[in-house]
Amino acid sequence: MSKDTIAAIKENVIQGRKTQEDVGIDDTLAGTPGVMELMEQALEDNISPQSIITEGLTAGMEVVGEKFSSKEYFIPDMLASAEAVGAAMDVLKPVLEKAKVETKGRFAIATVKGDIHDIGKNIVAILLKGAGYEVHDLGIDVPAEKIVEFVREEKPGYLGLSALLTTTMTEMGVVIGALKESSLRNSVKVLIGGAAVSDEFAREIGADAYCADAFSAVRALDSYQKAS
Amino acid sequence: MLVIGENINASNKLVAEAIDNRDEKFLAELARAQVSSGADFIDVNAGSGHGSLQKAIADARWLVQVVQAAVDKPLAIDSDAAEVIAAASEEYAGDRLIINSITAEPARLESIGPLVAERQASVVALAMGVDGIPERVEERLDACERIMTYMAGLGVNAEQLFFDPLVLPIAVDTRQGVVTLKTIEQIKARYPDARTVMGLSNISYGLPKRKLMNRAFLLMAAYAGLDAVIFDPLDSKAMSLIKVADVLTGRDPSCRAYLRAHRKGDIVD
Repeated sequence: MSKDTIAAIKENVIQGRKTQEDVGIDDTLAGTPGVMELMEQALEDNISPQSIITEGLTAGMEVVGEKFSSKEYFIPDMLASAEAVGAAMDVLKPVLEKAKVETKGRFAIATVKGDIHDIGKNIVAILLKGAGYEVHDLGIDVPAEKIVEFVREEKPGYLGLSALLTTTMTEMGVVIGALKESSLRNSVKVLIGGAAVSDEFAREIGADAYCADAFSAVRALDSYQKAS
Repeated sequence: MLVIGENINASNKLVAEAIDNRDEKFLAELARAQVSSGADFIDVNAGSGHGSLQKAIADARWLVQVVQAAVDKPLAIDSDAAEVIAAASEEYAGDRLIINSITAEPARLESIGPLVAERQASVVALAMGVDGIPERVEERLDACERIMTYMAGLGVNAEQLFFDPLVLPIAVDTRQGVVTLKTIEQIKARYPDARTVMGLSNISYGLPKRKLMNRAFLLMAAYAGLDAVIFDPLDSKAMSLIKVADVLTGRDPSCRAYLRAHRKGDIVD
């Protein structure tokens, strides 16, 4: 029974069905319990939150990521799945805290100074939250000093920087420079993303990774996490 | 409706390469193709983001020279750096100029506003301030009001302003299409002498069959009162729909422009 519930959670994440009312990507699961109803069932059956996350939510999101990369899924499909996972994580949060389960790591994200674009940043934040990371969104137009201060005080393992404009992407290099000056560069992995930047640019400014989309951010963090 | 051709923009990799390599032929051809497709203005954006401000200025100067030598249409000089706009407009010999763009952000008004006044240019004014793109119509209108007041103080007329209501990807938030349309309506109601413009293709970002969605939104915006559009004029179906929209919204008296275009074979269905 518990295996069935977890498998159903995964399938419903892939379908982007948060509740029973959602039709989904296609209508094969229409009318059946969605992620939220299944979560209730799973907790009632005392299924461990870890299994729900890894075999249900994360496994489902991995499939969504593949489908998004292969262009079978579009942005609204991905957001529907991420929203279902986010809602499930909210339900699990008190359970995890009670069981003293640690998150996969702490991730801070900001759109750099001079840039006010937040759509890409928000999508990355939603997906990483769904993937089991503790996400701190520092907002848009964030000056380097504020980012450095956050890294010093809160010690996130990962930092995501976003810029959409060719005129603001250079600010990412400024942030990395400021981290170096404060001797904090080695305490945090820096990932960059946004329409203007590239792999080449990431190397140029000494970032740890360039992420072409939100799923590659999840993959990058997961690979660091496994390596640590 | 005025058409501002968007294709010469360094955010497109091919264009950025052509600028870096000083490939005059490629860029001149891109300008000519847009003009022969019916563009009224050619937008030029040389900002690839790599390199110094000096490089950005040199690139923009060169690009303006190339495009104005290739076509006999006015330009929209597109940058968010006042230094780049100032340098590029020095190279520009035409008398009709659009500067793209300002926002209600004080620093941007103070640096670019005087250039608009000095050149008696038109200017694209984005309906946003320092806090990013507002989600609500009222906040976007507040930004327009701040721009209007500031520019009037510099002696810039409402006729010189093209307010951009801002277009967000509908894939991310399906409420935002209506916000854009209502903002256009309200701008036209408040400032009858000012005009409206929008970049079209952002609406369909992240969705399949983008051109279909762009064209549909273009028609809705035409009804809301859109005066100009920044997009790819090589989309001949959209160009035809602009002529259709002008007829249907009463901007083409006796359908004459539509029929002229039809006789030239420019209307495709």
